[in-house]
Amino acid sequence: MSSDACAHTDYEDGEVPEGYPRTGADATGAEADVWEALVEVEDPEMPVSVVDLGLIYDVTVEDGHASVEMTLTYTGCPAKDMLTNDVRCAAMTAAGVEDADVTIQYSPPWSVEMVTERGREQLQEFGLSV
Amino acid sequence: MAQPVPGDLSPVEAQLLRLADDEYVLAERYTEWQIYAPTPEADLALANIAQDEFGHARLWFDLLQDEFGYEEADLLWERDPGNFLHSPLVELETPDGDWADTVVRSYLYDVAERLRLDALADSSFDPLADRVRKVQSEEGYHREHAQSWLDRLTGGGGDAHQRVQSAVDRLFPHALTLFAPTANEDEIVAAGVRTRSLADVRADWLDEVVQYLESLDVVVPDPSAVTRPDEVGRDGSHTGDWAALHEEFTATYRELGFDDPATLRSENA
Repeated sequence: MSSDACAHTDYEDGEVPEGYPRTGADATGAEADVWEALVEVEDPEMPVSVVDLGLIYDVTVEDGHASVEMTLTYTGCPAKDMLTNDVRCAAMTAAGVEDADVTIQYSPPWSVEMVTERGREQLQEFGLSV
Repeated sequence: MAQPVPGDLSPVEAQLLRLADDEYVLAERYTEWQIYAPTPEADLALANIAQDEFGHARLWFDLLQDEFGYEEADLLWERDPGNFLHSPLVELETPDGDWADTVVRSYLYDVAERLRLDALADSSFDPLADRVRKVQSEEGYHREHAQSWLDRLTGGGGDAHQRVQSAVDRLFPHALTLFAPTANEDEIVAAGVRTRSLADVRADWLDEVVQYLESLDVVVPDPSAVTRPDEVGRDGSHTGDWAALHEEFTATYRELGFDDPATLRSENA
């Protein structure tokens, strides 16, 4: 391997569990609206949607209450509270949603392999090699 | 909700507190190197490792809050220093400017950390098991970091090699407390919270660290021959270094003065 990249960083880490990343492509009704609203939420450090980063694991809407399950790229993420609040507020902008909650889960563990094609293009445009 | 008390915990609580307290206190010691580490690269690397450990501590503290009803203040800011369960290895003050001490401590801890996480990956307590893989994927870099420094420090002999040896001599007896039991160790294993006993994990740890350190011409003390410190951490007993560190990391919380909210100068004038 001849590369100037840092030898201590493994860029091909992780595998994609079946069914991930989830993008809400099959969602309908209010749940589709929530997925669409979440596309507007960007990572605090990069101009990429949390949906395209593969961070959103599930969206359900019941009786006007949206529940979003998401993960973080990194357990030590200092933007955890900010990001979960952004996601909650975005979910509440969807038609038919009155209230929303967000839970964080770490299974399956996120890896860079879970970024969508569109996310990869945006990251490359931003100057990150993925 | 009252704060956790060492002798009065469920097996899951005891296991989570061991994890959380080790990670949190070690991260506190790592952050003391900020702007003082030997090179900018080393400074950034250690800052990043500290952030990882704080993140992992948060995972376990979050579970204690979500599943057992504690408040953050019970777990950190208002907890009596004698109710913390971390191993004294992570609380010891770093000898002034001794980078070898930090590298050796990190190595001894991170090997134990990997073996411990392996033994928790199939925990009967699902919320714990669900978080282990993410943590495992972040811990690998810590061992790589410690070992690359140990290789360099011992490679040229001389003073650096001697400092590594001194750090091993000083820290090894305290590292053994990583495997000291909490009051309900038997229940932790019986309930499948951890799938291996501390004695088994300790045996693997010893094999690995002895083999590696000896390959660097560093002598590892015989565990049966070392003088065991009285303070083992897991029962709430701690060394003299802990009181000062606890005082320091809770200082800002106390200075905030929640009972006496700050007012702007013009208010209530």
